[in-house]
Amino acid sequence: MGRYIIRRLLQAIPLLFLVTIFMFTLIHLIPGGADQVIFNPHLSAAGRAALRARFGLDQPVPIQYLKWLGNALTGNFSFSFGTNQPVGDILKQRFPATLQLFVPALALALVIAVLLGVISALRHGTATDYTLTTLAYIGICMPIFLLGLFAQEIFGVWLHWFPTSGTSNYATNIDPVSAFVDHIQHLILPMLVLAISFVGGWSRYMRSSMIDVVKQDYIRTGRAKGVSTSALMVRHALRNAVIPLITIVALDFGAVAGGATITEGIFAWPGLGLLFFQSLAIRDYPVLMAELLLGAVFVIAFNLIADILYAVMDPRIRYS
Amino acid sequence: MDISEQLGSATTQDEVEPFLELAPELVQKRRSQGRIIWDRFIRNRAAVVGAAALLVLVLFCFVGPYIWTLNPDSLNALSATSTLANPTLAHPLGTDDVGRDTLARAMYGGRVSLLVGFISMLMAIVFGIGIGSFAGYYGGAVDNILMRFTDIVLAVPLYLLLFVLSAAFVDGTPKSVIFLIAILTWTYAARLVRGEFLALKEREFVMASRTIGAGNFRLMFRHILPNAAGPIIVNATLLIGTNIILESVLSYFGFGIQPPTSSWGSMIATGESFFDVDPFLVFVPGLLIFFTVLSFNLVGDGLRDALDPQMTER
Repeated sequence: MGRYIIRRLLQAIPLLFLVTIFMFTLIHLIPGGADQVIFNPHLSAAGRAALRARFGLDQPVPIQYLKWLGNALTGNFSFSFGTNQPVGDILKQRFPATLQLFVPALALALVIAVLLGVISALRHGTATDYTLTTLAYIGICMPIFLLGLFAQEIFGVWLHWFPTSGTSNYATNIDPVSAFVDHIQHLILPMLVLAISFVGGWSRYMRSSMIDVVKQDYIRTGRAKGVSTSALMVRHALRNAVIPLITIVALDFGAVAGGATITEGIFAWPGLGLLFFQSLAIRDYPVLMAELLLGAVFVIAFNLIADILYAVMDPRIRYS
Repeated sequence: MDISEQLGSATTQDEVEPFLELAPELVQKRRSQGRIIWDRFIRNRAAVVGAAALLVLVLFCFVGPYIWTLNPDSLNALSATSTLANPTLAHPLGTDDVGRDTLARAMYGGRVSLLVGFISMLMAIVFGIGIGSFAGYYGGAVDNILMRFTDIVLAVPLYLLLFVLSAAFVDGTPKSVIFLIAILTWTYAARLVRGEFLALKEREFVMASRTIGAGNFRLMFRHILPNAAGPIIVNATLLIGTNIILESVLSYFGFGIQPPTSSWGSMIATGESFFDVDPFLVFVPGLLIFFTVLSFNLVGDGLRDALDPQMTER
């Protein structure tokens, strides 16, 4: 197992290099480079040239890449073109907000998906199954931004249950308790929208996995030996059916650095996704590169984690 | 009886059921493979509903404008009653903020959305088949390089890559959006095709064809690929739904289809600010997107069940 992990890690590093080259090329293909968007339009040509040199934009792209790479390897991601803050600090500032949104959403989605999937599978073919499947389809087929819009309108504007954007209402920052409650109130809508977008696909997957497991011989053996239905379902069927779903969840978690982009855009949640939109608009290359890199690192890391989890949970994979 | 006896007898069927011709009503005509698949598909009610809905939607978008001949781009902003109007007989779904008829816009927008979804799916599938077939068939170094390439594209979170690429390449025409979506969604098809090829290339029919002199390309595309068609078709159907959603996300955020062309996603973007006053502007394109993608998903799932060789024949 240890050798498998080390081998995968060694494979991941060149992949990461290739990904950075790929991404660097891409963002430098975007028309209207940073100098056209950020620099003062009244700058003289000499001033413009000086600024370009200061930002390192006058050098050929491969040299820029190598410089970026050298800096990145030492942890220095340079300064944002737009706000002059060190990029590392910006990311550190924004990442917790995305985590706050993403982790509870995924946890909630996992619990709901397992419940719905199992109920759907055990009541296979009945009206309950059809209702739950329909709900799951709504989660799959509705574009996220539409879900977000409807949620904002219904729960924010019509019912006034939750605020529709941002993370907090300044007026309530007076004492920690009400600030916390207010923060949670702002968190609920985007988190629910994100969770619903995952529940649809996961519950269908859980349902088909559970149906396959329940057909297996060992379930029948357990029933023949007198194991009660609930113990059978929970201790034997569920445990085995959940394995493929957990790997899917791990893979979906890998999108943490970019997966909530749309939700953050709609609810103006100040996380990495919103930062992405803002830096894209001003062609803020250092921030974009750092964010894409962070995203890729998470995706690759969680791919690895998903494979390891699968091997840990299913001993048959380990020995093959 | 062993093989040599079986090969020697003229009709194996008679050997097993010697008096069958005396009872013609018991003879079950052997159905063709296509017929079996069709029968299984028809029995799946949800899939049939989905297919019917798709037909209605396609007719709505492509034939509808010939019946409902209002121009979707004709502005009519002169009077307060003609803009953001509630549904009337003249405008069954109301009008938007500059007086354009929502029903006509929905039809024309649907053309763009459906075409973008469909053509980008075709491109993605073709590309995915190309890469997957070579990777699966040749294996070894070719497989390694191609899968590495796939991993690179997959390593970046989809939406980040989508927006960066759209900022770089998309100029608002449907053609660029089609290319963009195609180059981001081919990866699943490539993996799928590679898996199928890896499994199928060891089968006897491949070995048999190779023995009589079939070359590599012929084997790949005339023999193995048709046998891998099932999962590919399912993936293609589901991919159209995904692509329609991707296109609507792009257009909603302003990165995709730009005016004067409009798609359902951009209709939602323009109608969003008027949601309180005239919810039809968001509901009409939004629900159309939902039902289109739902229908494609139902049909895709129906096809998956119909094409599944492991399902016991009932």
